[in-house]
Parts: sequence; C-alpha cells; structure tokens
Amino acid sequence: MNDLKSGTRDALTRTASTQLIWLGLAATIGFAILMGLLYWVSALTGSHTATLDAIDEESGTVTLLLRTEPPQLDSTRATDSVSISVLGHVMEGLLRFDENNQLAPGVAERWEIREDGATFWLRPDARWSDGVPVTAHDFVFAWRTAISPATASEYAFILYPVKNGESINSGNLPVEALGVRAVNNQTLEVEFEQPLAYFEELVAFSTYHPIRESFYHSREGRYGADVDDLLYNGPFEMTLWVHGAHVRLEKNPDYWDRERIRLNVIDMPYFTTDATSALNLFKDGKVAVMDYLGAEQLNEALQQRWQLKRFGDGSVWFLAFNFSPDRVTSNWHLRKALQLITDPSELVNRVIKLPGNLPGESLFPVWLQGVNTFFRQEYPVPKIELNLEAAREHLQIAMEELGLDNPPSIALLVDDSPGAAKQAEYFQNLYGSQLGLEIRIDRQIFKQRLAKMQNQDFDLAVYGWGPDFADPLTFGELFASWNPNNNGRFNNTEYDESVRLAQSSLNPQIRMEAFARQQEILIEEVALIPNYERGRVYITDRRLQGVVRRAVGPDPDYTNAFISSD
Amino acid sequence: MKELVLIAKDFTPIAVEREAQGISRPSLSYWQDAWLRLKTNRRALISLFIVVGLLVFTIAGPWVWTIDPAAQDLDQLSSPPGANRQAIIVTPYLPWSGITADPDPILGQAIGATAEIRLAQPATTQAVRLEWDPVPGATGYRVYRNLYSPEPDGALGLPIGEIYDARRISYEDLLDLRPTRFWYSIVATDDLGQEVAEYTTLVVNVIRVVTVDEAISDGLVGPNVVPKLGDEVFVKLHPLGTDYLGRDMLARLMYGARVSLFIGIIAPLFFVLIGILYGSAAGFIGGRVDQFLMRFADFVVALPFLLFMILFKIAFGIGPGESGIVPMLVALIVLSWPATARLVRGQILQIREEAYIGASQLLGAKTYYLILRHMIPNTLGVILVTITFAVPTVIFVEAFLSFIGMGVAPPTPSWGSMCNEGIQTMLNHPHELIFPALLISITVLAFNLLGDGLRDALDARMRSRE
Repeated sequence: MNDLKSGTRDALTRTASTQLIWLGLAATIGFAILMGLLYWVSALTGSHTATLDAIDEESGTVTLLLRTEPPQLDSTRATDSVSISVLGHVMEGLLRFDENNQLAPGVAERWEIREDGATFWLRPDARWSDGVPVTAHDFVFAWRTAISPATASEYAFILYPVKNGESINSGNLPVEALGVRAVNNQTLEVEFEQPLAYFEELVAFSTYHPIRESFYHSREGRYGADVDDLLYNGPFEMTLWVHGAHVRLEKNPDYWDRERIRLNVIDMPYFTTDATSALNLFKDGKVAVMDYLGAEQLNEALQQRWQLKRFGDGSVWFLAFNFSPDRVTSNWHLRKALQLITDPSELVNRVIKLPGNLPGESLFPVWLQGVNTFFRQEYPVPKIELNLEAAREHLQIAMEELGLDNPPSIALLVDDSPGAAKQAEYFQNLYGSQLGLEIRIDRQIFKQRLAKMQNQDFDLAVYGWGPDFADPLTFGELFASWNPNNNGRFNNTEYDESVRLAQSSLNPQIRMEAFARQQEILIEEVALIPNYERGRVYITDRRLQGVVRRAVGPDPDYTNAFISSD
Repeated sequence: MKELVLIAKDFTPIAVEREAQGISRPSLSYWQDAWLRLKTNRRALISLFIVVGLLVFTIAGPWVWTIDPAAQDLDQLSSPPGANRQAIIVTPYLPWSGITADPDPILGQAIGATAEIRLAQPATTQAVRLEWDPVPGATGYRVYRNLYSPEPDGALGLPIGEIYDARRISYEDLLDLRPTRFWYSIVATDDLGQEVAEYTTLVVNVIRVVTVDEAISDGLVGPNVVPKLGDEVFVKLHPLGTDYLGRDMLARLMYGARVSLFIGIIAPLFFVLIGILYGSAAGFIGGRVDQFLMRFADFVVALPFLLFMILFKIAFGIGPGESGIVPMLVALIVLSWPATARLVRGQILQIREEAYIGASQLLGAKTYYLILRHMIPNTLGVILVTITFAVPTVIFVEAFLSFIGMGVAPPTPSWGSMCNEGIQTMLNHPHELIFPALLISITVLAFNLLGDGLRDALDARMRSRE
C-alpha cells in the first residue's frame, strides 16, 4: 500500500516538474516574442528620431548632452559649471575667451586699465537679440543687481574689486555707490577699490555679463527662468527650453561677430549625470561629445578605438584640516606626520587611475602663469620626502602635546561620489596601518558636506577648489583668515599679509614672490595635503572640430566649433 | 502404563497470551519524526547543508584564511581570480630625473614624428621609462598609451602625458601599470600647441616586479631563503581575486558574512521571541486586552522602517563613520515582531477552543501545563518556519541598507556594501560584484528552501500520515 502510494506520488511529481519546465519555456519564449514586438512597434513609431545623427553637416546641427538642466540662467546668480557654460554661449561680457583660451574683445571694442580704475569703449554694433544695442547702462544695471544684498548672489564677492562693492553687499551703502558709471551709451567707467592686476580676467566672468534694465523689470522676477525670460547678446540664442528634458541653442543672427560662428544649432535633448548612459548615447552616435569619462569606461573607449583627449579642468584637490583649537588636527605635529606619509603619486596612479590627473604638490596648480613662464617653474614647490620613521616621531610628540595615550580618532569628511569613497578608504588604510590612527569616514551628499564644512564639523576633509579667474590669487585667497571658504579657519598673520600684498600690488614680480611665500607657508604649516590636480578625459566625434575645454570660463565651449567634412 | 507424576508447577494456570496491537517499529518522538520527514526532502536537506557550510565558512574561515580583509595590496588592484602571479625581484623604485636634449631650432620646417622611441629601462610594473629622439621644431610632446595597436585608424588611446618643454625627450609612466602589452605613441606639438598628425609607436611588454623588501615582508620566498635580484617569485595569492583597492575578496566575503549572518540570525531570534510572548499573551487572555494589544501591534506595523533606522542611529549617538549595525538590529527587532505576534495569537486562539484543551482542563491541568504541554508544541512549527523565513528577509534588509550606505562603516565589509562597491566596476571587473551577489542569493535561497522543508516536516497534523 505504501509503495503504491509513494509510486503514485513520484509519478505525480514527475508530471508536475515536466509541466513546470514546459510552462517556464513557454513563458520565456512568449516574453521574448513580446519584447521583439514592442521593439518593432517602437522602431515604427520613433523612426525619425532613431535615424537622427549626432552631427548633421547640412544644417550645421550638433547634438550634445548636458550633465544637468542649467539650474540658473540669471547671470547674476549662476554659480555652477553647466549654467556658466550655457551662459557663455548665449551671453557675452566686455571681454571673452577665444579658441586659444586668451582674452579677446567681446562687447568692449577696446579698453584701458589704470591703477585706480578702467575704461571700456563698447562696440556700437553689439546687439541684444531683439535688435536693441547693448549699452554701458546695461552693465551698470547688471553689476548693481549682482552686488545688491537683495539679490543674495553667491558670486557677489567677485565684484568686490569694484569700488564700494563689499560695503554695498554687506548692506552699508546703497547700490548706487558702486564704482561703475556709464559716461555715455558706449563708454563704461570703473573705479577700483584698490589697485588691481587681474581685472581683465574678471570682466569675462558671467557675473559681469550685461542685463537690460527695462527687460529685467518686465519679467517681474522671472528673469532667466525660461526661453522668453532672457535677452541674448551672445553668439547663440536659446530657442527651446523644456525644463528637465531639452535645451536648444541656435545661432544668433544679431550677434556682431556672426561670421566667426560656424555651427547653426546646438541641440541638447539629453540630460544625464550617469556616465554609463552617456557612454551608451555616444556609442550609438546620438551625441557628439562625451565630456568626461570615468576610470571604468576607459577600456571600453579603447576597444571602440575612440580618439581620447585630455584637459586639465584647473581644480586642485586636497585634504583640508580643521584648525579649531578643540580639534586634534590643530596640532602641527599630527599634521606633519600625515604629510610625511602621504604620497599623491600613489593616489593618482594606483587608486584613482584616471589619466589626466596630476599628482598634487601645492595649492597652486601647474597651469598658472608666473612672471615670464609658468608660476610653478619659476617657484618650485619645496620637496617633501616621504619618511615613515619621522612621521611616527611627530605622531609621538603630537600625542604627548595633546595628552593622549593612544593615536587619536579622526573624522574624514567626503562627499558620496564613488571616487571620493575610494579615496577615503585609501587614506583610512594608509593612516591606520602606518600610524595606527583610526579614521572615521563621514560620507555626506554634496550639499550636506558643504554645510558640515561651513559649520566646521570635520577634522579632515577631501576638498576641491576650482579657479574663478586665471590668477594665482583665486587659490591664494582661499587660506586667508577672512575668506568664508577657508572652512578650517587656517589663520596665519604672515600669510594674510602676503595675500593682501598680492591683492593690492600691480608689480608681477612682487605678486609672484608673495604667492611663492604663501606656497611655502602652506607647506611649512601643513595647512593642506595636496592630492591631485584634476584632469578630464573626453571624447569628441571625429567630425566635430574646434571644441574648446578650459579651466577658467565657460567649459565646454562650442562657439568656435565646426563640422569638418572628412 | 506409565504413571503420571504431577508436580505443583503443573497446577499453575496457563497464561493466556493475548497478541494485542504490536508496535513493530520503535516509537518516534515529535522531533525524530520531523527529522525523518526533513531527510526525505532533498531540497531542504541540501539547503541545510548549505546553511551549515555558510556558518563554518563564516566562523572557522577566518582562522584558516588569515588575511586581513582591510589590507590593501596596491600591486594587485581589481585582479580577477586566477590571474597570472609571476613576478621578478628588482631593486626599489628610485625617482628618475628624465632626459633632456637641445634640439636644433629649425624654424619653419614641417614637424614630423620622432625617429625612434626607446625604453630607458626595462618596462616593469614600477615604471615604464620612455625616451625618444628629439623632433626638430617641436614645442612639446604628447604621450599616448593604448591596449591595442593604433593602426590603421590612428586611435592612439589614453592621453597619459603632456610635455610643454621642447627639450624634454623622456616620459615616465606610472599610471595603473599591469603585466600586459602597451602601445606607446609619441606625438610632437607645433608652436600653437596643436598636435601634428604623425606619430611613432613603441610596443612594450610590461613585467610584474616586486622589491626584495616586499618579497620578504609578504612572505613570497621561503623563511630561510634570501631573495636575489632577478629571482622569479609568485606574488600574494588571492583565490577569489581582489577588489578595487587590492583587498582580498575571500577574506572580505568571510568577514562580510559575519555581519550578514549575525544580523540575519540574531534579529529574527529576538523579534520572534517577542512576537511569541506578545501573541500568546494576547491570544490566551483574549477579550478587551487582546483587542488593545493587537491594535497596538497594528500601529507598530504602520511605522516606517527606514525612518526609525535613522532615528535610532541619531538616538544611539552613532557618529558618521561608525557602524550602524546596532541601530539596525534594534530597529529590526522593534519593528518586525508584530507579524509573528499575529501569527502566534491566531494559533493560540484556535488551539484554545480545541476539545483536547477542554479535556485537559477537566482532568485538572493547570494553566502553565496547558501552555507548555499543549499550546507551545502545537505552534512550534509555525514559529520555526517564521524564523527561517525571517532570516533571508533580514539578510536582504542588511544588504540593502549597506548598499545604500546606512549599514556597516568602511573598512568593515558586508555582502551588501561589497555589492554596492562591485556594481561600479561591473563591466571591467565583474568578479567584484558576482561573488557577494552570488553568496547573498545562495544564502537567501537556502534559508527559504529550508524553511519550506521545515514547514512540511514540523506540521503536527502530517504526523500520522504516510
């Protein structure tokens, strides 16, 4: 009886499994057929987009990808690289950067910089996109708006060199007191707060772009919010802005130098920060440029035989310390110990593994110009020899001074990008295994990391600084005691004096020596541990030529790009 | 005629041997019976072996494979299992000042490619040092490196170096060197800083090297062997490869399993225990108390887990960069018991009305006897099954929380955080994702199948069948 029962059951099981297998097989095939059908249907309905090429030579159209939607196209408020890049295409300041990254005349035909101020003579054929001439009044209005405390622009400080800028921004003076004046429609007079060596660099920056007062007021606070809420005076004008989805720029027929512009349309129908989807779009020929590649995508790029290019984005990345007296990192010996065992070359070559990054040696990157040649060639960085023994001795002294029996525990603040996490774990192991320090990794999203840095809620932080203008001061100022971005509150009297000297002097020799002194102080005091100078690897379609990448100013810049026929 | 002799024994009555129901097989207790039934279920049995194997892997593994899971082997980054480990012993790395030359300043002449590229030293994983003939009129050079030949379309590969000094005719490549073949190309730049079209390529085979000190400290040579320059050794073995920072995958998987299985076993034990106590109390007492207790359980079900996890993290004073395992455990226990409580309450309510309980009561059984002897054994099957099904769920929750960065703090590995790290290098180094993902899948599947088998085996009503 039992045998019979189990026999029946076995047979039943067998039938059941056979049925299951057949069912699974049928489901798989059915699913595949369904997918095929859907693909076919989508190909039928979307054929006109599927065949579209990233480069259309006939109409002069280039299709590109934007990392994000431009968050802010009001030039007085824009702070991020995407907005500044788009603004660089649709607006023009007094001066602009040309295809060789040199300053070139923009709205200003000629100019004169004096010790106490500057005069700009505007070209009469500069036009807004509605045909009205761009006048000196438009600049006066824009600068006053940007500096006004009511605007609360994060970049207001870049106007501080203009007389009374800082007092106006802190609310002590009315905006009319700003040292800028329209002599007539074509002449702009600027007064400086103090002698200034790099004002030409500043006026190319987007915060210095013109805005027409009547138009600004007619938008009732919506200036820069949509296609119709902007007036353009640059080489391109925006003709389409579907928020979150699509931006299209077309050649501005009213632009004074329109012969220079060879592209007719720059179409940006894709917004993504995801490197993998960007790579796929490029692979499918849907976009003509991939503006940076991650280490994980290099092999694929090599396999596809793409022509890779490199440019330095100008930024410097380093470990910043918190100098508050209640933090262990305020101890010089502890910082020295970390400095003596950190090898930026190993970090760049073994851990980050991206070609293009340069091992960091100083706060001042290699591309900065000195008196005659590069600053770093004229004033080489004091060399630091790695020395584990000395590092351990310094740590011992530090522990005695701090009254600790064991190596302290240190919080390392990083943002939540995968690259930052990798670096943080590298440092954690380096300082842990060599010096016995316990490193706690504090991963925060970008905004939270900035907030924590501003509240000085960190010991060590992975920090990057990009230049606002092409002068060593944009880096040197960072560690001045009064700078709000000096988050660790590094405070050194000699350093401050040296920054003030570099700010006010007009003699290049004196200024560069001041920067060299700053470079030395930062290394002697171990105010930071340089990690790397960031480089980017990017690819452009072989037919698209003349794309300009730069460290300072709108990047990437397609205003000089053209389509070559071969 | 034979005389019949009777003795007293003959007058004892003959015992009637009554063949009553014979027990032909040894009597089986509840557990023995369950075990027998589990043994016949092949899937459950294999799952049981896998679970035991996992426990051994986790607890005993690190004693056998004594590699520090946090140690970074920067010479073997993201190396897959079974990678070639041959290496040559060389002297330590010394900085190189490079080579400069003064080329004849011939202006106005078309700039071509360099005549020849040479290796200044044998190419090793320490450094590849290239030198080349100066190009007349060049203002600088660009150095490219490819994994494939640049022919025929001139795809030069990675731009690894930019030289802005016309006199410098050498380049030292340190970037991510692996024992493989590289195609190095040198392009000169003209006075505008633009690259010229011509290039020269050199094929370089890079060999893996270690220094004498590394060979001794890593134990690559025997204990009494003095390594000599040029000796061939094998670099450290990583059976399952290494991750993106050169950490041993096998060691990380073992330590990661500790976190995953610790949470996966401790949390269900506790919340099921709480659930049993709560549910049986509610079920046994009944009435208004039951109503009140169960409405409270409903309230707990509605609380969001992730939010509480974060709240506990703050309440416990867990700073950034510290492990979130304890708050995770607490949040799991505090929020997960109502499911068990409901189940047990339902069972108790049902059993309370059974006839044998009434009979037992009539025979004078006390409350504790009723609960211990009748109620608990009859709910045990349900309870055990709940535990085995809770284990994979909790392992998954841990993996998920570590995946989004709420769980373990680096460098402590857990399977979830390893998956998170592995997914970023998925296309180039799939082993970093596959191994932890596979282990999570196997563990979850094994516990599920085991739970399934246990449900069948422990069901008291199936006892008399077969």
